[in-house]
Amino acid sequence: MRRFCVAVTLLVTACASSQSIAAGAQRADLLGKLCGDTASLGDAGRILTSLAADGSRDDRLWAAPIARAVIDRKLRCDASGAVLVSGEKTLDVLTQAPRMPTEPSRSPLLSLKNRGLFETAEAALALRTAPDVAGRAAALHTLERRAASLPEKLFEAAAEQESDAELKAQMIAVAQAAALNSADPLKRIAALKQISATPDRRALTKVSALLGDPAYAANPAFKRAVDDAVTTIGRGIAIGDVLATLYNGLSFASILFMAAIGLAVIFGLMGVINLAQGELIMIGAYVTWLVQEGLRHFAPMLLDYYLIIAIPVAFLVTAAIGIALEAILLRHLYRRPLMSLLATWAVSLFLINLVRVTFGTQNLNFVTPFYVTGGVPVIGDFIFTWNRMFAIVFAVVTLALTWGVMRLTPLGLNIRAVMQNRTMAGCIGIPVRRVDMLAFGLGSGLAGLAGLALSPIYSVNPQMGQNFVIDSFMVVVLGGVGTIVGTVVAALGIGQINVLIEPLWGAVAAKVIVLLMIIAFLQWRPEGLFVIKGRRK
Amino acid sequence: MKALTSDRPFLALLAVVLAVAVLLGISMVSPFGISAYLANAIGQFAAFAVLALALDLVWGYLGILSLGHGLFFGIGGYVVAMHLLKHSSEVTGKVPDFMQFMGWSTYPFYWAGLGFFPYALLFAAAVTLLISGVFGYVSFRSRVGGVYFAIITQALVYVAMLLMFRNDTGFGGNNGMTGFSVLFGWSIGSSGVVIAMAAGSVLVLAVTLLGCRMLLGSRFGMLMIATRDDEVRLRTLGYETLRLKLAVWCLSALIAALAGMLYVPQVGIVNPRLLAPELSLEIAVWVAIGGRGHLIGAVIGAVLVNALKFWLSAAAPDLWPFILSGLIVLVVLVFPNGLVDLAKWKLAWPMGAKRLASETPELR
Repeated sequence: MRRFCVAVTLLVTACASSQSIAAGAQRADLLGKLCGDTASLGDAGRILTSLAADGSRDDRLWAAPIARAVIDRKLRCDASGAVLVSGEKTLDVLTQAPRMPTEPSRSPLLSLKNRGLFETAEAALALRTAPDVAGRAAALHTLERRAASLPEKLFEAAAEQESDAELKAQMIAVAQAAALNSADPLKRIAALKQISATPDRRALTKVSALLGDPAYAANPAFKRAVDDAVTTIGRGIAIGDVLATLYNGLSFASILFMAAIGLAVIFGLMGVINLAQGELIMIGAYVTWLVQEGLRHFAPMLLDYYLIIAIPVAFLVTAAIGIALEAILLRHLYRRPLMSLLATWAVSLFLINLVRVTFGTQNLNFVTPFYVTGGVPVIGDFIFTWNRMFAIVFAVVTLALTWGVMRLTPLGLNIRAVMQNRTMAGCIGIPVRRVDMLAFGLGSGLAGLAGLALSPIYSVNPQMGQNFVIDSFMVVVLGGVGTIVGTVVAALGIGQINVLIEPLWGAVAAKVIVLLMIIAFLQWRPEGLFVIKGRRK
Repeated sequence: MKALTSDRPFLALLAVVLAVAVLLGISMVSPFGISAYLANAIGQFAAFAVLALALDLVWGYLGILSLGHGLFFGIGGYVVAMHLLKHSSEVTGKVPDFMQFMGWSTYPFYWAGLGFFPYALLFAAAVTLLISGVFGYVSFRSRVGGVYFAIITQALVYVAMLLMFRNDTGFGGNNGMTGFSVLFGWSIGSSGVVIAMAAGSVLVLAVTLLGCRMLLGSRFGMLMIATRDDEVRLRTLGYETLRLKLAVWCLSALIAALAGMLYVPQVGIVNPRLLAPELSLEIAVWVAIGGRGHLIGAVIGAVLVNALKFWLSAAAPDLWPFILSGLIVLVVLVFPNGLVDLAKWKLAWPMGAKRLASETPELR
């Protein structure tokens, strides 16, 4: 056993020393070329580049400063080799030991052509060895333009090593682009296959550029590969666009739903048009911001979770404001819905200016927690973004909870009874006054939650509420007063129509068309999609 | 009904309005009297009062709340601005700045003939009638009423604002139209013309007041109030309320457009802010504060709120929104019929608001 161990140790030592001997010889050869004439300097530049592609890690680290040094004329050749001047220190290139250059010494001067070679070499080496992402990204940017002349292995190896996802994707893209223009048709066909595996518009631009390539007409196999790639990418983009439209529509619908659901409860219950609903949304967003700032001061490690911690706070604060509003103002106005409209407008005016005076008019800054950042590229140009997903999930949860409260709790039962027939509900002993108050609180609290859900997506300022009022009223009117189902269906419909029309004719046209459709729809069903049966007249 | 039968307050108001007109007339021809600045303010208040009258006609006497009357006001304003620009450029020979900005050297076709004032007047009336007629017809036919109607009108004016914010429509885009220089050949900035415009606006207000008064005193006015109070009964009795509502709605839109035509030359600018939902809501606030269902209330509300705004938004800009909202809440809670309740000298606190039982029932 011991003999075996010794043998292995000997073998390993032998291998290691022979490798280092080879590397040493190579390095000495390279050094000779560096100190040689113009032609051998050019060779040296190419060797440096190839070292970046397939040299060992040691070689790369050794070579990295040399290219830069030659460009800056910090390399001095003398009788016993060369010295690298870096700052105050001077190191022997081969032994890495500090020594002064012996006279006579000279710095190799680069010709214009060689200078380009060395710049490429330097960038190639930096791509493999630079410790920071920014350095590697800059190197990639330099290399991008001459990608076709560089060894393919360089980008593949760099991409394999790369830790930053975005930079890695860029490296792969550059490698693919380089392979597409390589001289070997088989390589080009392979690259086409690889590119069409991730179909997006950038890939399409790259591939369709090949339609004018001479090889497209000359080589039938290549032509077929290009045609296939174009078809595949086109299909991928189409699927991606459909999915993106649906996803955007869904997320817009969920925002509309969030803004409208509280309104639907209040409007449906009391026939009170709450024009302050938008401002309650705004206050929900401001409360979220306050929670974030509070966490920043008192519990910074929880900062990322402020969106979740703020949920009960936003709900309770806006619900309290709603209840106060109901108790002070609106309960006097139940028989006069049009006056309650003006009163709530006054409240909205008051709240806007209160917030403006307290916080100023500028947009608030929100931390973007990790769970609402970025997204997953799915297909084509469709990216499944987490902030939209957050809004959608939030809306679904809110919908479920609201539905639960309205259908499964005694409060919900009472609210529905009062909605159908206020007087009769009072007669059978339902505390109508308290139900009103709690329902108003519920509706307002839902608005606060909407504000919370919007804060990672929209800009939050005192004016933000006004953008939602008309949209959310449209949802409520279209859906039918006070029905959760109606609100959901109307939000989905309006959201999708908006998203479908906007890219074609713009946001204004989308608003006009939605409004005209609602007016036309009310011709057919004056009370909206879903009507609660009851004596409301 | 009381407001209709007792003539004294109405005549008093009319006398005040005419007195203001005469005062303005005097200061126009004599070197003494009101400054152009004050006259301009009075003229703007008069335009707003006409606008409030238009809304009171449909809201107070027909029970239909429109939160989109700014749309008709805006139509009048835009058409008169187009007229003034066309008129000016016939004198100077240049197209207005915003068109040069868009790179246009000639007017779009729909500007044709607007330099001729009677045609501009007819054009404004036609556009107003077309829009109010179509919208009113589809809404009243399907019996959209109450809060639904209010919301849809608000959406309508909002959409109009969005359209006007576009730069490529030929109406000045988000900057609007300004730089009017000539009115019927006179320089628009001279104090004589400013005072004349103010006097004209006050006279138009007086005429509108009288006209509305006569309309409401007629059989038609009775039918309007009957529609407001119980439309179903009126229909059952065999009256066609659709045509009646449509007629009043279109008339109200025309008056609002007229107010816009008075307003824009006096402020010297028209832009999409005229179509902002807030302005349309504010018109309803003027009427509610003054007294819905009273012609006097509409005039008093418009003049009072705007005079306050005129004074406070210069003296204490931060305070004005708070005062306005407080005023609205106070009036809504304490004076169910607006400030005309003050005449009864009995404050009704919120709990006992029923004592001042609302004279103009809400339609739902």
